[in-house]
Amino acid sequence: MAVVTPDEKQLIKGIVCDILELEGDEIADDSLFVEDHDADSMRLIEILSSLELNLRVTIEQSELPRMVNLRGVYEVIGNITR
Amino acid sequence: MNKVDSASSGLAISGWAVTSPYGIGRSVFSEGLAAGRGTERAIEQGQGPAGTACLVPDFDSRAVLGKKGTRMMNRVTGMAVSTIGDLLRELGSDRLDPDTTGLVVGTTVGSAQSTIDFTRGSLTGERPFHVEPGLIPYAVMNGAAGQCAIWHGVKGPNATLAAGRSAGLLALNYARRLLLTRRAGTVLCGAAEEYSVARAWISEHSAGTDAPGAVLGEGCAMFALTADPTDEPPLATLLAVKATTCSDGDWYTTVRRCVEQATAAAGVRPSDVWMASPSGAAGPAGHAERAALGDLFDLGDRLVCVTELIGETHAASGALQLAAVLSLAEQNPESAELPAVVTSIDESGTVVACLVRLG
Repeated sequence: MAVVTPDEKQLIKGIVCDILELEGDEIADDSLFVEDHDADSMRLIEILSSLELNLRVTIEQSELPRMVNLRGVYEVIGNITR
Repeated sequence: MNKVDSASSGLAISGWAVTSPYGIGRSVFSEGLAAGRGTERAIEQGQGPAGTACLVPDFDSRAVLGKKGTRMMNRVTGMAVSTIGDLLRELGSDRLDPDTTGLVVGTTVGSAQSTIDFTRGSLTGERPFHVEPGLIPYAVMNGAAGQCAIWHGVKGPNATLAAGRSAGLLALNYARRLLLTRRAGTVLCGAAEEYSVARAWISEHSAGTDAPGAVLGEGCAMFALTADPTDEPPLATLLAVKATTCSDGDWYTTVRRCVEQATAAAGVRPSDVWMASPSGAAGPAGHAERAALGDLFDLGDRLVCVTELIGETHAASGALQLAAVLSLAEQNPESAELPAVVTSIDESGTVVACLVRLG
């Protein structure tokens, strides 16, 4: 079962907003990084890498296809054994 | 194989733009130069080992270009993108065909700061691959040229030329060859250099004992060079660029020979030369360069060394020298139709002479 604390969610959202150059109110849990926020593959890798650095986790690249929006990222992070 | 005729009639410089320690744009640059105003200022604590530098005042990529697409952009890229933007506005970018417009940017290592930051991340992170991927495009030396093309939609040949202080003039030569071999119709070319703690550190530690640390400057100058017919008379015409190598330490003779080759190729009489600008490199090599120009041409105070005003701008120096010559020519109508010479020397041994006819 995915477990991401509200604090972690806040941190993750902050990282994503920073990389996608968005304000917090411009992004929703289910808005799509690529389709709705003009992200390219480079931005997606930046998100993955920045989450690894800040949350001290290792995310498999095979998880990238799930990380299409904030909800997907919360799930991926929640499923990582820490 | 296309053959390039180095003695052809010349290529038009149809526009130029500059970002310098005087600020953004040609007018502040012209005013500052005409007034002979120096730009050396104390730098803030932690900005580098030296106490002073000539910085582009208040330049911040995000403030100048907006917040979109600039999060990781380094200073040198910001200056190049912004200066190319100014150049395109001046040219009227709707008159350029993006597919046949090329871009050539001179540099030394791109951004020493970005390269070092990236390497540091790998060495100090928990894992060597825990690096900031957003830095990668800017930690390679062609980051600025690539980003300029992406930002402004310029789709022709895209080249980065790394040649130290000679980079700006060699970029012009590269652009000239692209045009003469019909690889492009117009080429936006020039050079950019940023001030950073990393560059200041490298400069201080690599300066020879005969040429102690110069005051560092930064900036970017970009020119539009075209083989296409222009509606208006060109601001200047690029007549020749000659490059050679000084391998025996005799900078005076090498510079002199290089300049003589350029004037001979273009059929220019030395007595007609209106202005000359040496690189202003520190130490005996720079003095020899200046002496060679002084002996070749009778110029008086029209032997202009901008390094004294805007600092040692390394990779951007040749481009900023040419910008200075064009700017001073603009203020002096008697320069019309007369030739001017810009030279550059680099510790690596490169000597370049560039000859233009003023508009």
